Amino acid sequence: MQAETAQKFEALEQLAAKLREVFTKAGFEPVAPAILQPADVLLDCSGEALRARTYVFSDLDGHELCLRPDLTVPTARLYLERNPTVHEEARYCYNGPTFRYSPADGKNTRPREFRQMGLELYAMNDRLAAEAEIFKLTIESIEKARLSDYKIKIGDLGLFTAFIDAIDMPTRWRARLKHHFWRPDAFHKLLRELSGDEEGASQTKNSWPLLDSKDLLGAMLIISNHMRDHKIPLIGTRSLEEVTKRLIDRQLDTAEDRLSKEKVQLIEDYLAIQGPPRAAMARIVDLTDKADIKIAKAFKRFEKRLDLFKERGIEMKNTEFSAEFGRSFEYYTGFVFQIEASNSEEIGPVAGGGRYDGLLKKLGAMDKVRAVGCAIHTERLLTLVEGEME
Amino acid sequence: MSKKALTIAVPSKGRLMENTLKMFASIGMTIKKTGHERGYHGKVIEHEEIDVAFLSASEIAHDLRSGRIHLGVTGEDLVRETIADHHKRVTFIKPLGFGHADVIVAVPKSWLDVDTVADLEDVAAQFQKNHGRRLRLATKYVNLTGRFFARNGFFGYRIVGSLGATEGAPASSNAELIVDITSTGETLVANHLKILKDGVILMSQANLVASRNANWTSAAIEARNKIEQRILTEKTPE
Repeated sequence: MQAETAQKFEALEQLAAKLREVFTKAGFEPVAPAILQPADVLLDCSGEALRARTYVFSDLDGHELCLRPDLTVPTARLYLERNPTVHEEARYCYNGPTFRYSPADGKNTRPREFRQMGLELYAMNDRLAAEAEIFKLTIESIEKARLSDYKIKIGDLGLFTAFIDAIDMPTRWRARLKHHFWRPDAFHKLLRELSGDEEGASQTKNSWPLLDSKDLLGAMLIISNHMRDHKIPLIGTRSLEEVTKRLIDRQLDTAEDRLSKEKVQLIEDYLAIQGPPRAAMARIVDLTDKADIKIAKAFKRFEKRLDLFKERGIEMKNTEFSAEFGRSFEYYTGFVFQIEASNSEEIGPVAGGGRYDGLLKKLGAMDKVRAVGCAIHTERLLTLVEGEME
Repeated sequence: MSKKALTIAVPSKGRLMENTLKMFASIGMTIKKTGHERGYHGKVIEHEEIDVAFLSASEIAHDLRSGRIHLGVTGEDLVRETIADHHKRVTFIKPLGFGHADVIVAVPKSWLDVDTVADLEDVAAQFQKNHGRRLRLATKYVNLTGRFFARNGFFGYRIVGSLGATEGAPASSNAELIVDITSTGETLVANHLKILKDGVILMSQANLVASRNANWTSAAIEARNKIEQRILTEKTPE
């Protein structure tokens, strides 16, 4: 962090205190997760891409540690420490330094060290109520900080999942599309492959007999004989069964009809939807009706969520829905939102959050634990508020 | 580092050193070690103004980054691995036609279902489901690996540090796949590994490299120009 003037320090502290008051009044307990985190937990969870933007180092015992690149994972670990077996409903809020790698050439605009404030709500059964609570508090805190000129973006990854589930195609293709959702480039490449526009990974001619997809043991025998004949020993952790299963899948893929142009277009059309929430809903209905597919359950949830927001008095000014939004944060699983200043896009979002039901299990929880949270970039918020006052 | 006009670093051992000295000799620069045989300093008989440092190939990459040396002969793989923003810090003057080694992605030959990088993400998803973790990848090339896979859409892996023989990691179950250098491919075969069809990350060879951060006095520039001129007109030995 650049050295702060006493004035800026004072202003940030005051802002944080103001927001904390909003959060504690709503029943969120202030917590202080460790700044130093075990690197392997974070890398296992977020993948190697994290290494490129995190300060990772080894201590004298040879343990890989990192400076926390955000507070969601550290706070989730704290929750699991306190609730190792029974996952009770809990509300935490936090405020503290966060670290992201930034090249040290002095020209960068992104700070290496910044404060992050946030809320996490765990294990609340009523999903929509939990989302409304976090969303409302985030907006309230932004308003309390006196930021008035902002816009909101929302999305719903549950809708995307339902959409893919409703389109007729082999189950394993659905799994692959969902898996690649977070990487737009890989996703489009996969779409082209499934539609036959691009030669896929699995087009090599095999030198073994046709495998019977209903006879796994028989197929394994064929593959094992092939390996023996070609003097290929089975090494490493992946089993013969795993290799054979994927070979069967590949064989099925080649025999399968390609994903039709209409279906590819349908997926692309869905992902391109953007606009005011109610108008976006109409567009979704339009798309699904025309294609004669049903996503009633996910759609109802989306509709009910909007109604609930209204009922709770959440004023959704300047709000846009984007079907694609949420793609850059792999741990989100449902409702996502982001708030940024209307005319200062270069500053970056001031707040963002959403539902991440898969994370706690990845971190070692016994079961899936429902979770919704948000993070607020208080330094950006302060810059914007000060800008508005001038 | 030295009071002479320019410091050039050459590899301190093995074939890489021999070939480097031969190359310089062919352009009329006879490099001799000064002091005892195992020392690390040398001189160019024909050019008093040039100082020679004998260093390991990876030290040369580090010193090119910091600017402790003006010029150095080292592998392109090491430069790209060691210097994240290498285009800002160094200039590749010329590939020298020796020290060939490819940085490649290799998997067990028994993975009959895997031919390309695109297969890996599917395998990773299957592996995560069955084994509850990401694929482990053994390598010394953490940065090259990260950049290559980020570009090619493979994310379901974790890097495990590799101190000794990387090629042995899959057989000993310390990793599922590797990124390593190979020149003939023999070691891979011996370890029952195969290179993915699109798994060549970099075809590397020894290069003459200039540091942008070094102290480029007019005398240093003059010495560099002389070397560059001769080396660029010299045919690359194969």
